[in-house]
Amino acid sequence: MSSVTVGTAMQEVIDHSEVVENEFVKKWKEGGGKVVGYTCVFTPPEIIDAAGLFPYRIRALGNPNTEIADSHLARFNCSFCRSCLQLGLDGTYDFLDGLVESNGCDHIRGMYENWQYVKPVSFFHYVKAPHVITDDSMDYYREELRLFMKALEEHFKVEITDEALKSSMEKQEEIKERLRTIYEMREGKNPAFTGAEALSLFLLASAVPDEEFIRMADAAIEERKGSSVSGYRARLMLAGAATDELELVRAVEAVGGLVVTDALCYGLRAFYSPLDLEGDPVEAMADVYMKDMLCPRMYEEYAKRRDFILGKIEDASVDGVVVMHNKFCDVHGVDNVQIRLDLEKRNIPVLALEKEYGSRADVGRIRTRVQAFLERIGG
Amino acid sequence: MPAVVGAPAGPGLINRSHDLFKIVMRVPDEISDAEARGIINAMPPDIADTLEAVLAPRVRYASIVFLKMLGQWLVNAKEAKASGKKVILVPFNFVPEFVHAFENAVPITSEFLTTVAGNATQGKGHRYWDEAMGLGIPDHLCSASTIELGSMLGRDDLEADAIISCTAGACDANAKIHEFVANYLGIPQFIVEKPVDDSERGIEAYKKSFFRMVDQVQEFVGEEIKEERLRKVIEYCNRAAELHYQIWELKKNIPCPVPNLYNMWIYGTRFTMWGRPEAVRTMQVLADDSRKKLESGEYPAPEELARCGWLYTGYYIDFGGFYNWMEEQGYSYLFDVLDLFFPEPISTENKQVMLEGMCEAARTFTMTRQMGAESMSVAWIEDAIHMAKEMNTNCGIYCGHHACKQTWSVISIVQKELMDRIGAPTLALQGDAWLSGVTPMSSLQADIDEFIRNVVVKKKKSKEKKIRSRGGAK
Repeated sequence: MSSVTVGTAMQEVIDHSEVVENEFVKKWKEGGGKVVGYTCVFTPPEIIDAAGLFPYRIRALGNPNTEIADSHLARFNCSFCRSCLQLGLDGTYDFLDGLVESNGCDHIRGMYENWQYVKPVSFFHYVKAPHVITDDSMDYYREELRLFMKALEEHFKVEITDEALKSSMEKQEEIKERLRTIYEMREGKNPAFTGAEALSLFLLASAVPDEEFIRMADAAIEERKGSSVSGYRARLMLAGAATDELELVRAVEAVGGLVVTDALCYGLRAFYSPLDLEGDPVEAMADVYMKDMLCPRMYEEYAKRRDFILGKIEDASVDGVVVMHNKFCDVHGVDNVQIRLDLEKRNIPVLALEKEYGSRADVGRIRTRVQAFLERIGG
Repeated sequence: MPAVVGAPAGPGLINRSHDLFKIVMRVPDEISDAEARGIINAMPPDIADTLEAVLAPRVRYASIVFLKMLGQWLVNAKEAKASGKKVILVPFNFVPEFVHAFENAVPITSEFLTTVAGNATQGKGHRYWDEAMGLGIPDHLCSASTIELGSMLGRDDLEADAIISCTAGACDANAKIHEFVANYLGIPQFIVEKPVDDSERGIEAYKKSFFRMVDQVQEFVGEEIKEERLRKVIEYCNRAAELHYQIWELKKNIPCPVPNLYNMWIYGTRFTMWGRPEAVRTMQVLADDSRKKLESGEYPAPEELARCGWLYTGYYIDFGGFYNWMEEQGYSYLFDVLDLFFPEPISTENKQVMLEGMCEAARTFTMTRQMGAESMSVAWIEDAIHMAKEMNTNCGIYCGHHACKQTWSVISIVQKELMDRIGAPTLALQGDAWLSGVTPMSSLQADIDEFIRNVVVKKKKSKEKKIRSRGGAK
């Protein structure tokens, strides 16, 4: 079993990352602040922040209960979206003052339609992201970002200046810098963080005010300097599904597969690419959020996704790759087949896992599959 | 019991269907009952049932005309391949007339090929599905495209030279499997993206994407579309569209004189040979035959009990049998979502105008217009209500094809809105529209029967009673 001593700084991160409405969100609201929720990486949080609002990335944290959501979405919809919708409808997300949809996939579109139909929030905006990168589609997306700003300005009666945008981008870069440092520390020869801890840190980054994250991340980094995780059998990479399931990563690590890196949208894909802080802010955001998110819903971009994974396998000295997708997720489900075939061609061990999001019943099966995989790769 | 296990491994879907349809093409347009029986008896049991329904006397002539058109479509693809022309695979919600406008390219349509395989080849296409599953393609992908593409992935079939994909933005399952096949086979894919945006800006973005594809395909085929050939194609499209609207009007009659099966023949024509003279002929036969049925008052049941609007697709696993069965119970199948294309006449003024007309037809094509809209439920509800009012439907049926994540994600909204706004109850079924191994047809029939008899008919009778009690009945 992978293990490392958890000090007070890391414990603070873990505690705050495991609740949806953490104490920082509560304080923000008590102070009269507004919170705007978003899910997909095609929504730049910098824009929400520049409007003086709190950008909160919606998560379900492995919530397995979907009774309310299931009367709106169907069992043929991805369980991550059903879990998020459940929390939207059961009151967990009542602290949100606005929702931002983007067309990440068919399931998430359905999730937002139902959320807004059943329990509308006063501010709802749709950032429409193209699926193919061309000069024309980039123009379209840049205009989408401008329309998004305008909608925030009109609804919340604020002004988003270029200066505010630049300042928000700088703050986001500071956050991303911390996350990159954490990933470097886990990808190295002696990993200083477990995969579950890295996910906790990642989740925290989009759920608390910037300065709080920076404080907690710096403390965790400092605490882990010179530490290393021990007791693992193999170094793994997780790729594929949109997932924020801490329990899932813990289950993989409990049987000795240390997750040293990932290619997940609740992970590295969301922050590896730096923003250009010198040029036009909208141009800079569009370049990163449209071109570099490596999401399988982007067409004509498969080679880039594959090469990113191959590069990380090299950087993090990965012994094996686990590609996962939530049942009924078409974009990851198909992309994972291509990834698996391409990795197998290169003799890189790969385990393809189809799973239900948040299902405790699935955890035992996943542990067994990972154990078998570790034996197969000699871990 | 159907001899699925004994189905020959044989060639792939297109090759096999082509060989079978070559036989169909030798059949005269008009055949006797005995001749029909002879053909049916020559088929394996799982295909014979379908053929029996397709060759039922009341639909036989039109069916043969349609099937011969399909045969020609398959022959065109095979001959094109043999002569070095390009075979371009398109999804059902793309305008095939664009490819017909090339001298050196022909279209094949993945979902329609799947439908053909499911009804004309022994084993109903399962073997091609298995090819895809063998590669690890998830079983929640859409069987409509995966069966045909599974055959192509099996490398034992006519391979397309390129793919036009137009579902990015409207259907993940479809767009991803097409992308996978293009990568796996190493063939180019030309993408038309549907922005989930029906504002002027969204329309303009679609247009740019469409014309990007036009340039790419012209370069790939090595041919500039010629204005005269394009004009001819558009003239055929316009004529077929006129006939489509004539049939549309005929469907409004009570009882509906247009046989249920003709819905499939109409959109089968739209998805394959639109823009060709064969399509005009098929549409003409469908319109003429329906008109004759109106004049003679022919309807296969004593009373039309239900006027059903199928909110999504139908079931294609027992092609003819299912539709004829409905009709014989007095359940008219007035439309499904695949009928919901509303072609506008396209001006033939010049090449640019004609291509723009095609672009608009593609943008507003069935499924693209609903699932590719800003709101899937709003666009879908608007179309469903419009259709329900036009056709005087008294119920909705949703087939619940399990691969369709978009419709499943908003069907609860659609059901509620249809009930609230027009008082139409909607039955939501669960079954794969192209894979017979998921939900048995008998179970679907039982559910439909129960719904119509217990909900639709009772509601209808109660409404009639109320009218009578108010003295409104004549």
